[in-house]
Amino acid sequence: MSEYDGGTMSRKLGALVLAMGILVGAMGIKTVLSSNSKGTVMMANGPAPIPLPPPSPPPQP
Amino acid sequence: MPGPIDLIIWFLGTAFELLFVVCSVTRKSFLRYFFLNLYLLISTIVSIGRFLILWSYGQHSGQYMYFYFYSDALLTVALFVALISLYSHVLGELSAGEYVKWGAVFLLLGTAGFSYAVVARSTERLSTSFAYELSQNLYFVGLVLTYILWGAVLKLRETRTRLVQIILSLGLYFSAYAASYALVNFSGKIIIIRYICPALGCFLPLSWSLTMLRYTDESRLVPARLVAVPR
Repeated sequence: MSEYDGGTMSRKLGALVLAMGILVGAMGIKTVLSSNSKGTVMMANGPAPIPLPPPSPPPQP
Repeated sequence: MPGPIDLIIWFLGTAFELLFVVCSVTRKSFLRYFFLNLYLLISTIVSIGRFLILWSYGQHSGQYMYFYFYSDALLTVALFVALISLYSHVLGELSAGEYVKWGAVFLLLGTAGFSYAVVARSTERLSTSFAYELSQNLYFVGLVLTYILWGAVLKLRETRTRLVQIILSLGLYFSAYAASYALVNFSGKIIIIRYICPALGCFLPLSWSLTMLRYTDESRLVPARLVAVPR
């Protein structure tokens, strides 16, 4: 009986897991950096002046 | 209307964006780096559109705000696609193109879903809040993706100078963005938003243009200049 009889890892599933890990990591970094957020807007796409931010969602009851 | 320094940064940034496209065409690399060119072409058009709207309605008008956030979401998605195209360049020899595409689509949909979940409570101006949230989340996804790509560059001992420089510039850009984001949240200094963010928007096209001008597709790095990683 072969030592490797468990088959091969699905590469598609591997890509999916990696994508989920990246998403979790990115959102984690954002949460840490915005822990003291005052609702300021940050954009860096292009050199145009930044307008006022859109209104934030109302607080949940 | 914005002040003279804002306008100078804006015009310089737009000129750098156009410079990259011109350099790519003259260096016959337009198709090789098609998605980078596409991103900067869209950015140039958006920049002109933003200027026209700001000129007509003012910086704090609803029209400028809507156009800014929707166009920013479009630009961030274009930058995401450009970043994925760099993955295809680096991982091209591993025949991993299909998996990169699957992963990228899933990541984009996942980020969109997460952004929607965050803003779903707001029924008023939902689409604007969604566009804004999607942009911000995609920046952070881009940051993580760029660091992973840099890891792949080191691991695979990539020596194509242009590619390495383009990825390094992107890493600096995203890192500077994340640092500014943290600084704004912790110090609340508006000057960071007013000058540093638009200056960051200038840095990326300038850095890419210099790379295009200084190196050819045949330029190679000495492998020892990269961090040595045992294979």
